[in-house]
Amino acid sequence: MHAEVQDWLAANWSPDIDLAQWAHAVFEAGWSAPSWEPEWYGRALTAAQSRLVTDEFTAIGAPGCGHDRENFFACTVHDVGTVEQKRRLLPPTLHGPTQTQWCLLYSEPGAGSDLAGLRTRAERDGDDWVINGQKVWTSFAAIAEYGLLVARTDWDVPKHKGLSFFVLPMRQTAVEVRPIHQITGESEFNEVFLTDARVPGNNLLGEVNAGWSVLQIALGHERRFMSGRGFASKENKVLEPDQDDDLVELARATGGLGDPYIRQQIARIEALAAVNRWNTQRAKDTTDSNEAATLLGLGKIAMSRILHETARAKTEIIGAEAMLAGPDNPVGDGVTFQAFNAYLTSIGGGTDQIQRNIIGERILGLPKEPEPYRHTPFRDLPH
Amino acid sequence: MTHNNSGNSDELRALRSAVRAAMAKYSPETQVRDLMAAETGFDPVVWKQLAVLGLVGLLIGEEYGGAGAGPIAMGIAMEEMGGALLVSPFLSTAVLVPRLLAATADEAERAAMLPKIAAGELIATAAFAEQRSARPPVTIATTATADGEGWSIAGEKHFVLDGNAAAVIYVLARAEGGPAVFAVDADAAGLDVKSLATVDQTRKQCRVRFADTPARLIGQLGTGMEVFEAALDACAVAFISEQAGAARRAVEMATEYAKTRYQFGRAIGSFQAVKHMCADMLLEAESALSAARFIAKQFADHAPSRIADLALAQAYCADAFVFVAATNIQVHGGIGFTWEHPAHLYLRRARSSAQLLGSPSWHRERYMQEIGGTT
Repeated sequence: MHAEVQDWLAANWSPDIDLAQWAHAVFEAGWSAPSWEPEWYGRALTAAQSRLVTDEFTAIGAPGCGHDRENFFACTVHDVGTVEQKRRLLPPTLHGPTQTQWCLLYSEPGAGSDLAGLRTRAERDGDDWVINGQKVWTSFAAIAEYGLLVARTDWDVPKHKGLSFFVLPMRQTAVEVRPIHQITGESEFNEVFLTDARVPGNNLLGEVNAGWSVLQIALGHERRFMSGRGFASKENKVLEPDQDDDLVELARATGGLGDPYIRQQIARIEALAAVNRWNTQRAKDTTDSNEAATLLGLGKIAMSRILHETARAKTEIIGAEAMLAGPDNPVGDGVTFQAFNAYLTSIGGGTDQIQRNIIGERILGLPKEPEPYRHTPFRDLPH
Repeated sequence: MTHNNSGNSDELRALRSAVRAAMAKYSPETQVRDLMAAETGFDPVVWKQLAVLGLVGLLIGEEYGGAGAGPIAMGIAMEEMGGALLVSPFLSTAVLVPRLLAATADEAERAAMLPKIAAGELIATAAFAEQRSARPPVTIATTATADGEGWSIAGEKHFVLDGNAAAVIYVLARAEGGPAVFAVDADAAGLDVKSLATVDQTRKQCRVRFADTPARLIGQLGTGMEVFEAALDACAVAFISEQAGAARRAVEMATEYAKTRYQFGRAIGSFQAVKHMCADMLLEAESALSAARFIAKQFADHAPSRIADLALAQAYCADAFVFVAATNIQVHGGIGFTWEHPAHLYLRRARSSAQLLGSPSWHRERYMQEIGGTT
């Protein structure tokens, strides 16, 4: 398998190849999603083999592989879609760069941690569905072809039971995308306003009112991908702190390295980062899947703490410079950015508090909170 | 019983099971409490059993009757012993002294003593701290003077582990030829051993005075500081495993209680305020375990960064164990505030362990110096 992919790359890849032509060749050869069945454009490799194929592509800088891991849209369609949906929706997305062809329309201003409380409405109109509501924290909304949408189709059943999962065509005037101005000054995310947006009936994924279980499958792909990135040494953007976080050099440059208090803070932060690496290493090395799952579950709150604490220590190191912003004050500006950007990890993808619930309930086996509205129709919930 | 240095081997799993079973049998809470009350904290029958199981001689070479195991196997044993709060001279006799004698490279002393230790026939300890610090002093006040064929020691050592149970005490003293290790027998003239009142009654400590006490030189003159540094580092590798194992046990105690204690008609673990404490405890305890196991591997492999890594790990594991043991009491509420409940025994062990081989802040400063973080 190794030799086969290397040979194929050697025969087909060149850095100046037309990317559309390249994507088509990758797709035709079954390398886009190598772990999928041949009838669904794959090569029936194992997940581990598929990862190796991606590594070979990455090693020479060739794009187009790894859709079976990174493309949650494709993964979800592959797992849940009908034959017709798979034939229609998979080939185009497998031809493109991942992530830019689709976006996620889950969270709402009124449904964050309690995602199942969402209020975006989907109503039948002939063969179509008509969507009204507002989604939030959507990356790539402006460039996406499709949005993975969860909307409410039944208001007279408990909240989890009245949701449906749709593939929403994003390029229609009824879909309005507005960038969110974040506390960091950046705009990675968007709000998406849906005003009589239309979804063709054949873009319902799974059964009507079975959207929650489809969402769990989609979120499963997302979590696997995110944790995989945290555990991969090459792609360390998500769960690894900034590599240029050299606190010692920062303290040396700002004259604080002789301060015993600062020295203690630096060593504390370095211990947090080191221990996180050691947890990750242990999770990789163990053959005990429970042990790995435990360490995986702890990784997110550990990383939140590292990011917040690193920013806090840096703030103490630079002192008054922390009051200043802008290009004339890059050190202060950068530290404030880190302090604010740390919330991306402690809120995004589930808050630290929700994560602690998950650790308590799924790892330690502690009982869940009572759910007084478990059997209450969504329409009757207080809000 | 032989042990290699690989990670998840069947032998290591078997070792863990064996130690866990031994702890269940020999170190139940009743035994822990009995030995807490005893002056020497040492049950000779149990000690013999630990020797028979190969645990006392785990680090001792096979040529001296030991198992010839390395830091990974010892870490596993210490995790289990820590979880059970084993009261014994294990840390001094089975960890520190074999590591110290290895560092001295004194073949005659090793041949004379290690077989007896491995067989469970000899309790031994090391005395290095003076006055207020638990680390070896920068300037050693205890002196050694040549006296005919032998030596004579004068001075005072503090925080000596199991000093009142040991038949031999290895002392760091300053001679004209430089610092060195000297062996003092428990029945030597001019030796005064006084038990200290310790917060952690599961670990016995003594103040030891030497008034022209006869002693034997071990190893070379002038090497005493390096020998003790190496021995204490090697000892710390095992020691952090003990902390991590005890921390993990405290998480289990808290979780179990949170599942079974009902207030307001529900298990208290269903309240997020309690659940989140347990989640934070788990993070600290698992992180301490990862640190301890990583460091054991680093020392087994003689990794170049092992001292800096150890310094971070010692600071982390000490703080983690204190946090987990303290939070365990909070999760237990009122019952955790009673002497009868074992929760405080773990906090006592944790607070003592956070000082015994140097405080967390001492280790953090050491880390900074190790990585070249100087002005």
